[in-house]
Amino acid sequence: MKPLKKNTLWGYLFVSPWIIGFLVFGLYPMIMSLYYSLCQYDVLRIPQFIGLRNYRELLFEDHYFYASVWNTLFYTCIRTPLVILGSLLLAMLVSKAARGVRLFRTIFFIPSIISGVILSVLWMWLLNPEYGLINTSLQFFGLQGPLWLIDPRWSKPAIILMSVWSLGGGRMLVFLAAIQSVPDHFYEAVEMDGGNWWDRFRHVTLPFISPVLFLWFILEIIGSLQVFVEAYVMTKGGPLNSTLFYNLYLYNKAFDDFDMGYASALAWLLFLLAGIITFIQFRVSKKWVYYSGGTGK
Amino acid sequence: MRKSAQIAGIVFLFACMIALFWSGREVRQPGRRQVDYWFVAGVKDDSPPCVALFNQAQDSIYVNSIPIPWNEHEKKVLTAILSGDPPDMVNLVTPVPKWAARNALVALDAVIAADRLDTAQFFPSLWEEMKYRGRTYALPAYTGSYALFYNRRLLREAGLDPGRPPATWQEIREYSRRLTKRENGRIVRMGFIPQYGTIETPLIIAFELGARFIDPAGTRINLTDPVAVQAFQWERDFFDLYSVEEVSAFMGGFGYGNQHGFIAEKVALFINDNSFIDQIEKYHPGLDYGVAMIPTFGDSPSVSSAGSWWLAIPRGAKNKRDAWAFMKFVVSREIQLAESMSREETLFPVNRLAANDSTFLAMNPYVAIFSGQMEQSRSKSIVPLVHDIFWREFSLARERSLRGVMPPRQALQQAENTIQSFLDRALEYDTYVNARMKTEDFFD
Repeated sequence: MKPLKKNTLWGYLFVSPWIIGFLVFGLYPMIMSLYYSLCQYDVLRIPQFIGLRNYRELLFEDHYFYASVWNTLFYTCIRTPLVILGSLLLAMLVSKAARGVRLFRTIFFIPSIISGVILSVLWMWLLNPEYGLINTSLQFFGLQGPLWLIDPRWSKPAIILMSVWSLGGGRMLVFLAAIQSVPDHFYEAVEMDGGNWWDRFRHVTLPFISPVLFLWFILEIIGSLQVFVEAYVMTKGGPLNSTLFYNLYLYNKAFDDFDMGYASALAWLLFLLAGIITFIQFRVSKKWVYYSGGTGK
Repeated sequence: MRKSAQIAGIVFLFACMIALFWSGREVRQPGRRQVDYWFVAGVKDDSPPCVALFNQAQDSIYVNSIPIPWNEHEKKVLTAILSGDPPDMVNLVTPVPKWAARNALVALDAVIAADRLDTAQFFPSLWEEMKYRGRTYALPAYTGSYALFYNRRLLREAGLDPGRPPATWQEIREYSRRLTKRENGRIVRMGFIPQYGTIETPLIIAFELGARFIDPAGTRINLTDPVAVQAFQWERDFFDLYSVEEVSAFMGGFGYGNQHGFIAEKVALFINDNSFIDQIEKYHPGLDYGVAMIPTFGDSPSVSSAGSWWLAIPRGAKNKRDAWAFMKFVVSREIQLAESMSREETLFPVNRLAANDSTFLAMNPYVAIFSGQMEQSRSKSIVPLVHDIFWREFSLARERSLRGVMPPRQALQQAENTIQSFLDRALEYDTYVNARMKTEDFFD
């Protein structure tokens, strides 16, 4: 028993930097933000406890709150399936044992290493209505391109369009690994039964990679709910608040207005929203996610 | 023994880690008292010329200037004050009242009185900006003065008198109509674009017409003042001749340097500050242009919006005395002149004596116009407690009115309601805090 205890102690000691980091930079700020969400607090002065007033004002009086929730949900609902299915398609393309496929895998991966700010600046030029590559290309085909980031009807689609850039990257690699791990004899069985490529995908590939798909749906929805950099760099929430995403509104409240209590309440509501969506996903997953172990875990 | 050596090793490691984070301030010049001075860096991190001049002028104080990045400067200063280890002095540009309202700065009235600092040397609007609820928290450091730039060649080409720039906002509209040029239905040149540049055109018009936007007590917002509505209406009417979308698309092609709309001769009339002259010299030296006073609205005076870089001592600073000595040095006539003229882009002195000095006046033929405009400028710090909310709402109301989403009055009414609700909240908190917290005085 004694050596085990000693080992346990050493184990804790070795993970202590992480534990300390989590307690100091993770748990403590979370607890404090929960407390501040019940206060008026401008960071530079003392907090004033006001109970649930921040939440009440947010939910019943603040029209920007609902505008930002709508913008964020719109972005999440369109972008998430688009990037997941797009990445899956890319992964299927580069999973073929064709000549030069490794080069394509590398090429598709490269864009994902570019930082969000640089990407946003780059896309501002691509989406420029006068000189941008996109509208110039459309003009080549005789089409008049939209005003993209300047037009409130096109600003959200423009930001969603940016996601095309990141279709490769980590998502594609994980899908690729999942696709390659599907045992060949299942495909052979489908072929023997006279199935075509669609049957192979639907009855073999899809069930096998469904746990990975499920994981990415959870991660991408949470990630999309936190969209920030694109709007912060490119539009500042405009035009007409059409790109005022949830986190941008939260940032404005916390760091422009110094209204940290209100911003903390916003953060906790987002946490709650992400939690509810993830919970629903887990419930629904039982109907479509297949675990080869058969235990559902 | 082995166990105790292990424990000693671990303790030593932790001590090293703590020491790394707990390093004290770096002493740059032994034997001299140090003033840590944070300034917002532009493209270059070069220390402002006044720092070197001060360090050479005496040998008991050393100003250690530290650049902080523009993007994060507010957060950096905020965190430093919160941590209880702020610099001795800061140079910032966001309105003083926004910081003073949150007890972030040391009140300077006592030391101004003790040293008999002549405050009449500053431009009045800039000096007013240093105050919050009657107390002074900063000294203006340098500024930029706005005026109307006009392209003589384009005026001539449009059949207008190049020696007579537009003097009223009605004329701006008329000149703009004649100066605007289309090719294949697309705009290729515009006379004036109200939303191009950093100055808010309807704000200037409203200032000229005497709008105050808030009651004297600072508790009731009044954005629906008829003159504010009139200013918004002028801008809305301006766009009767063009669509907002086509003008926005046209502006999308503008950039910096030689791609600037005015410098590239795509815009003929443009309001900007005095440093724009340096940019024209740099990117289009042969440009045939002139500078005139900002247009007026009927019989109203010509008004510009004020704003300056300022120097202040953050709450909790260690070396207030020496920081103050440096602050006084920076605003003196001689240093203001040296500082303004030695930069790549000319700054405008906050000191009227420097601005009207013959050497500064000789810099270009337009200095007197900028100086006159500075005398009649008004602060943009209207509601310090909810400063950013005010300007976000103002911009949104303007956008709604411009794009025809709602009439000017309705757009302003919505903005007024939102600002008022956040102001009520802020005032309640302010009352609570002021009963429990005190502003730091210079001699505390």
